[in-house]
Amino acid sequence: MNVDLGETIRTGRAIDLRDRGLDAPTVERAVRESDWITCQTPGEVHERVSPIRDGLSLAVRSAVAEAARTRGLSAPQDETIAAVRRELRTLDPPAADCEAARRRVAETGERESELSERVSELRGTIDALEGDDVDEAVEQREAAARRLSEVRTERIAAEQALAHARGQAREARDARDRRLRLEDREKNLRRAARDRLAAEVRDAFADAVETVPGEGTVESTTGDFDGDTVTAALAVVRIADVDAPVVLACDRFDSPSDAAAVLDAPVLRV
Amino acid sequence: MLLIVTYSRGARQTLRNVCSTHTSPVVRRFGRAALFNETELAAFLALRLREKHGDDVQIERTRPFNEFTAVPDDVRSAATAYENRDSPSTSYAKFAAGTEHPSPNALQDREL
Repeated sequence: MNVDLGETIRTGRAIDLRDRGLDAPTVERAVRESDWITCQTPGEVHERVSPIRDGLSLAVRSAVAEAARTRGLSAPQDETIAAVRRELRTLDPPAADCEAARRRVAETGERESELSERVSELRGTIDALEGDDVDEAVEQREAAARRLSEVRTERIAAEQALAHARGQAREARDARDRRLRLEDREKNLRRAARDRLAAEVRDAFADAVETVPGEGTVESTTGDFDGDTVTAALAVVRIADVDAPVVLACDRFDSPSDAAAVLDAPVLRV
Repeated sequence: MLLIVTYSRGARQTLRNVCSTHTSPVVRRFGRAALFNETELAAFLALRLREKHGDDVQIERTRPFNEFTAVPDDVRSAATAYENRDSPSTSYAKFAAGTEHPSPNALQDREL
């Protein structure tokens, strides 16, 4: 790898950048963007572990599984996972929204009951009136009754539209159901593949944990790692076939070249 | 009660969080669905879920079921008689044939 520092270019498998006052995220970004650092493109292992620094948050088993993949291993679930993902990409569940239809049912229903009340009121008024007043009230009542009949028709149409929309929503939800089942399936398969891959390199990982500096143990049957995440990350890098430089921001090695030798990977010390 | 059903992982997770945070409106939890009591708080929580996850959240209103008011006598007695039949392998259609129990088709066509 090459590190272009402007006035000077550093090359090699282990490069010390501690004299430049650069922080780990900055250097990591340069590795990923191939900016002023020229190197191989980082892979999944790199994504998970680098930069390695105290307090690193690491899903150990997943990282170990990714390391196994760099060694050319694959999981029996891989093909099914790919098929499930393909199907998920083709799924595009339609909308299942009935809000407009519900609102219309509510509004027409409300107007209907208002008008219905108005008609009853007018009917009561007519009984108490005499002469011309009666004619006027009758006219009003008839007008209200006509509007009521119109609104009732609208309400019935709105209810039918809602029933139709609900039917369509049910179909749309079938598609969403399918998508959720596939997503769950994919997750379970991925977990099974991860466990399988991690189990395949369990011994190598346990040896690596013993070899790299730091505290940690690997349970012999479950493969569970107990220790600090920096140790786990270093062991993952050691067992993985890593081409891109790992950014090291921890004091575990005598020198960057010592680190590169133990980790069997290019190293950038910050 | 309010029945809330979720249709995506995000919506399911939010429903779980809501159920753990607000226990009072929750009547029952099922994997990706829950029954809430009929309070404004329950409606508020349900509507928030839908606001956040759109069509991945379905909200329905359920009614208590009383078979003595909602279900005709012949349906109830048919259910009891069939579950107590002598031969477990008899289908309901065969069991009901020639008796006063309603046929499967009749049951299908009659709404509660």
